[in-house]
Amino acid sequence: MATDPDAVDKIFYQELKAFYTDEEIIELGAFIGMNLGYHTFFGTLDFYPMFSPDGRLIDQEESRRIYGTQVSSLQDRGAI
Amino acid sequence: MSNIQGIEKSSITDPELLELMEEALHLGIPGEKFILILARVPSYAKAILKAMIIGFNQGNIDHRIKEVMRVQLARFAGDSYSGQLRSKRAIQEGLEEDLIDSGSNDYEDDERFSEAEKVALRFSDQMYLDPKKVDKYFYDEMKKHYSEAQIMELGGFMVLQYGMQTFIRTLDLSSD
Repeated sequence: MATDPDAVDKIFYQELKAFYTDEEIIELGAFIGMNLGYHTFFGTLDFYPMFSPDGRLIDQEESRRIYGTQVSSLQDRGAI
Repeated sequence: MSNIQGIEKSSITDPELLELMEEALHLGIPGEKFILILARVPSYAKAILKAMIIGFNQGNIDHRIKEVMRVQLARFAGDSYSGQLRSKRAIQEGLEEDLIDSGSNDYEDDERFSEAEKVALRFSDQMYLDPKKVDKYFYDEMKKHYSEAQIMELGGFMVLQYGMQTFIRTLDLSSD
């Protein structure tokens, strides 16, 4: 849905229905839609986790240095 | 036929959901067909409808520019169902189809839009087409025209509209 929505077609839904009820598909689709919308917005706001990997409360500058500004995974699948 | 079928309206008995549905239908967004599909999961339907109505119909930003942004986002998302819907309130407030079309095309050169409205349209235009352009400099420009609360209002509104439009696109509602 995020990187190739055309691939989420009738055949895809038929495959989904082999494993999930219509209600569960709605739950998943709405959840994905909201996360897709929010995470793109969050990415533009330039904020970072409040805690270091070892659990320390850190300021945004340190967090930015620790976590970086780029998503390191999924770069070849459309992540920004 | 859409990929997931909606339920019968007469089968909805939850009074809160019925009230939200009436409010959404009065507004015209997000349209009965999607609401009846969402209503398969009443807790989700209530939360999403409430957020969509608040984000679209309340706040301190002109409703008409939100409608232009909503249609622009629907077109970018490839969601022809939402792209065909119109806010009844925006139409009553004088929003014309020609201006809606301009909001998805040559709005930068359209003198009918104020500078603030052009920045808002650029916000929705760039957010999902080229979010790297929505950077510190972009937000500095936005802050010349909008308070931080208004920027959050626009961002939250866009997030939910675009997120649901992306989902609606896959449901293929226009095929019914």
